[in-house]
Amino acid sequence: MFATADTLPDLSLFDESGRCLPKGLNAPAHARSRRYFRLQPPRLDMPNLHARLRQHLGAGQGISTQDFCTRVDALRANLQADPHLAAITRGIGIPFILPRLEHHDVGTVLDKRYLPAIASAFGQRFPDYRFTSHHTRPLAGLLGVLEGSRHERLIEASQEREVVGLYFPCLSEYSVPAALEQVARLPDNFVLAGGYDTSAALVACPELLLRTDGYPPLLWLSALAENGKPGIGYHYEAYGYNLTFNRRPHLGMAAEYWSHGLSVLETV
Amino acid sequence: MSIALTPDAGLNPGEAAKRNDLAQRKPYIAAKLARITEMEERGEISPIIRLEKSYLCNFTCTHCSAEYYMDRHLKKVFQIVDERRKIDLDDIRRISREADELGLARFVITGGEPLVMKDFDEVVAAIDPDRHYVITDTNGWFLDLAKAKHLKSIGVEKVQLSLDSMVEADHDAFRNKPGSYKRVMRAIDAAREAGLNLILSTVLVKGRAKTDEFRQMCEFAKAKGIGLYVSYAKPTGSCTEHPEFVIEKEDADIVRELEKEYPVFTHMTPSYGSFKGCITVKGIITITSTAEVTPCPYIDFSLGNLRETPLKEILARGMRNPWLGPHRPDCLIGEDPQFIKIHTERTQGRTHLPVPWGQGFSDHDSLQDE
Repeated sequence: MFATADTLPDLSLFDESGRCLPKGLNAPAHARSRRYFRLQPPRLDMPNLHARLRQHLGAGQGISTQDFCTRVDALRANLQADPHLAAITRGIGIPFILPRLEHHDVGTVLDKRYLPAIASAFGQRFPDYRFTSHHTRPLAGLLGVLEGSRHERLIEASQEREVVGLYFPCLSEYSVPAALEQVARLPDNFVLAGGYDTSAALVACPELLLRTDGYPPLLWLSALAENGKPGIGYHYEAYGYNLTFNRRPHLGMAAEYWSHGLSVLETV
Repeated sequence: MSIALTPDAGLNPGEAAKRNDLAQRKPYIAAKLARITEMEERGEISPIIRLEKSYLCNFTCTHCSAEYYMDRHLKKVFQIVDERRKIDLDDIRRISREADELGLARFVITGGEPLVMKDFDEVVAAIDPDRHYVITDTNGWFLDLAKAKHLKSIGVEKVQLSLDSMVEADHDAFRNKPGSYKRVMRAIDAAREAGLNLILSTVLVKGRAKTDEFRQMCEFAKAKGIGLYVSYAKPTGSCTEHPEFVIEKEDADIVRELEKEYPVFTHMTPSYGSFKGCITVKGIITITSTAEVTPCPYIDFSLGNLRETPLKEILARGMRNPWLGPHRPDCLIGEDPQFIKIHTERTQGRTHLPVPWGQGFSDHDSLQDE
């Protein structure tokens, strides 16, 4: 259960459900949420998460399960120690590891590494259901990182080492421009989520978008856009009990159904 | 371990063949339909227009969404006559032109039962079947081979035929019309023989998706090679008296699973490469007999009257409304309890539907409304 709002300090940047509060933003974001489209908090069994990341994504080769737990605990503890940030941990936060990859093209890496990893992880966890990519063209050369997202830090880090982080789908009902505004106000180790981190979270936790008693939100890979088309984005979305990857215009708008993620990385 | 990929533009070979045939016969319409994807990328919309010129009907179905618009209902329940001005053929010609200018390409003639309309042929002509893809709903009662051939000859492209159970007695009981199941079966053969595109339409009430009967209907559609459109029962019209009909997410999810095996779809099913979710305004609007525009067949709140406000502005009102414009995966009037409550409260006791713009929907709407 979440604590009530009045137990939060005034300076908190997050509400009682862990949603990042869109105070004073210029771009579209819903000031309040009725939490109609929401995620079911998954059970975070760290050994299982680690095993899935290793098996399906090839991540965590140099990080033991114990190391993973320790480093994730440290990330959480740092957040909880800061009264501005502590309430983010009241929401869903999925621990992930990104494998070290030398390839520089995000689209190619998604096509070759992350989407097959999700297909494999989801297929193993839910053999009766499907992961479907509705995007039929190759992603190679198609995607760029949005300026101001800080996401290039995550990509650069993953080219140097395996990256441990926490993925928080806490920018619910924001537009992409509002998500960019918000991330600029957060500490340096917060980045707007994109392809690798969102995908790794779904590999670790394939049930993240599964909800039987209502509808989960759509998760944008918000830090990425088609080159020359900032109003077109890519996303993961449930379809019944199935998981899909797709592309659609968002045109800088906010929707109750749309959510974006923040990834919190270890400071090096 | 492989990733399933959907075909380019979401068109299966059968649909592609139909599009090619249309391009040969009606290139103007085919070109408009082909532009819909690029329109959507620009944030423009191309909804299907449902035209309810008349609510006359030879049936009294248990779940009818239009019942409260019908003269027979107003007389029986409120002892009044609807004095509001009704749309005429000139209105339809003007609406057709406005829609064409906005790139809209599809009209569905609905009702009531369209095939009891004495001026049905004139309505088709007023829509202009060389500029718009014309579809008609029907309960099938009057759709014999001669009628089907006639529809094809005047420019109707497609028929949406209602079938509510594979159990003859159940269909007839639900439709309150003995013999109606047999007429539907006749109409299926007639439509196909006349070369009309055909889809079956069926109402999903709570729990039906799990039944053997529903599975049989899916099998029937697959064997016949006909699409089966599944419409969720909504708590509006005659169904207001049957809240037990309203589905739960489990019912919708069962249908989503059946889509993998059968040619079954709902209004939220991705089609032709388009993933709209709830199609209110974005994919459909309804024009009532009094020229009011509602955002879907089951929401009795108007976005404006076409005699007072241009179609373009009415569509813009819909798209900027927080309930209607944004992308969402569920059926607003069939699944969202908060909106259903608002809709029920604001329509309760109303003699004349839809509720006018400003009293049901307005530019001040908020998702936080109670």
